Amino acid sequence: MVGKRGRVIGRIAPGIVGEVMLPVRGATEAFYAYPATDEVLEVGTQIVVVEFDPPRTVYVARAL
Amino acid sequence: MLWTYLIIAAVAVVVLLILFRMVWRVAEPNEALIISGLGAHSSSEQVNETLGFKIVVGRGTAVLPGFQTVRRLPLDIRATPLTVTCVSSQGIPLHIKGVTAYKVGDDYGSIANAARRFLEQSDEQVMSTIHELFAGHLRAIVGSTTVEEMLHDRETLTTNIRGSLAGDMEKLGLVVDSLQIQEIDDESGYIKNLGRPQAAAVEAAARIAQAERDREATEREQAAAAKKAAAVRESSIAQAGYQAEVDQAKSKASQSGPLAEALARQEVVVAETETAKLNASLAEKQLESTVLKPADAEAYKQRTLAQAARDAQIAAAEAQAREVALRGEAQAKATELTGKAEAAAVQAKAMAEAAGIKARAEALATNTDAVVAQQLAEAYPEIVAAAASSFEKVGNMVVLNGAQGIEDTLVKTITMGGSGFALAKQLIDSLATKKDDEKPTLESVADESA
Repeated sequence: MVGKRGRVIGRIAPGIVGEVMLPVRGATEAFYAYPATDEVLEVGTQIVVVEFDPPRTVYVARAL
Repeated sequence: MLWTYLIIAAVAVVVLLILFRMVWRVAEPNEALIISGLGAHSSSEQVNETLGFKIVVGRGTAVLPGFQTVRRLPLDIRATPLTVTCVSSQGIPLHIKGVTAYKVGDDYGSIANAARRFLEQSDEQVMSTIHELFAGHLRAIVGSTTVEEMLHDRETLTTNIRGSLAGDMEKLGLVVDSLQIQEIDDESGYIKNLGRPQAAAVEAAARIAQAERDREATEREQAAAAKKAAAVRESSIAQAGYQAEVDQAKSKASQSGPLAEALARQEVVVAETETAKLNASLAEKQLESTVLKPADAEAYKQRTLAQAARDAQIAAAEAQAREVALRGEAQAKATELTGKAEAAAVQAKAMAEAAGIKARAEALATNTDAVVAQQLAEAYPEIVAAAASSFEKVGNMVVLNGAQGIEDTLVKTITMGGSGFALAKQLIDSLATKKDDEKPTLESVADESA
């Protein structure tokens, strides 16, 4: 999971639960997402998974 | 013997197939096999500890009958309608109708969580549990959200939903695909009132727009009407102008007939005049040829004759004059000769008369009246004749007083005016010149005057 790229589908910010769409198991699934840093990621931003918290939570950062 | 082996082999194959069919289980794409029992221990890399059961997804596996049990966990989506009565964050009571679509997560952790909670439950039980769960969550979500956010701010709503559900869903191994609020019933009329200013503003804007458009339309209509009227006016003016031109042309045309007629008549008159002139000139020529020429010829003839006569007369006169001149000369010579003789006679006579006059003068000087009276007496008949001559012009003369009247008249005639004497002298002188003429007698004068 770590290193996978995805797209923000629910606003990611400190203190709220965001959502990202990631390619998993040959399909795409939605994962709950938290920001790896204190940045705010708006919907549509490209992200990269920096940490995976099973079963369905990831920590993400802005993709460069 | 061979047949026996063959039959045994076939039976063995059949038996093996049957056994295999009994032992082998295949997981459908939308389900997970939960196998528990002898040796069924999952060694997933995602989960460090053993699950105590084996999860098979999307493939087949041998299940030892009697030693292992297999359960199927459906992974397909389920929809649950939600109806909750709740209060918004502003404290407004609301009836919310919604729907949620959820499924068991596809990862082993979610399948394991779900299997532990829902495996042996019927669909109704699962639905009921999920419904209660979601209703509670929805109540919490609505309680932390304002009505305006619910209506307009979808991002905030979904964020709240996730924030509320995330933990529970992970516990249950469920994935919420969608949670939608379908209806919001508002007893207090908050939503209606919320919309009222907007509705009023919209209505006002609509009315304003309508009024403005109406005004604009009216202005345009009026402008168009004014333009139309102007166009009509211009058209009328133009039409009147054209009509006037047409009338003028018509009148001209109508006049052109009589005009042409008059012109024709004029031409006729001119022609007639010409004809008359020609006739006159013809007549003139005719007259000239018939009258004037002969007259001229006659005149010429006369003139020529007259001239000839005159010339003849002149010649005759000249001849006569010459003759007279010659005769005159001859006569002059004769007269000169006779004159001289007469002159001598007259001289002699004059000498004698001068002596007489001298004697008369002397007599007059001595007795004037007697001489005059004598002379008057001598010349009386001439005097009377001269006096009577003044009656010659009188057509009819009535003389009153008879013979006496005649005498008086005569006397008056003789003695009229203040110049009786002079007249008498004149008469005497004139009588002296007419001595040779026949003197009318007093009687004849008296007869004439009578």
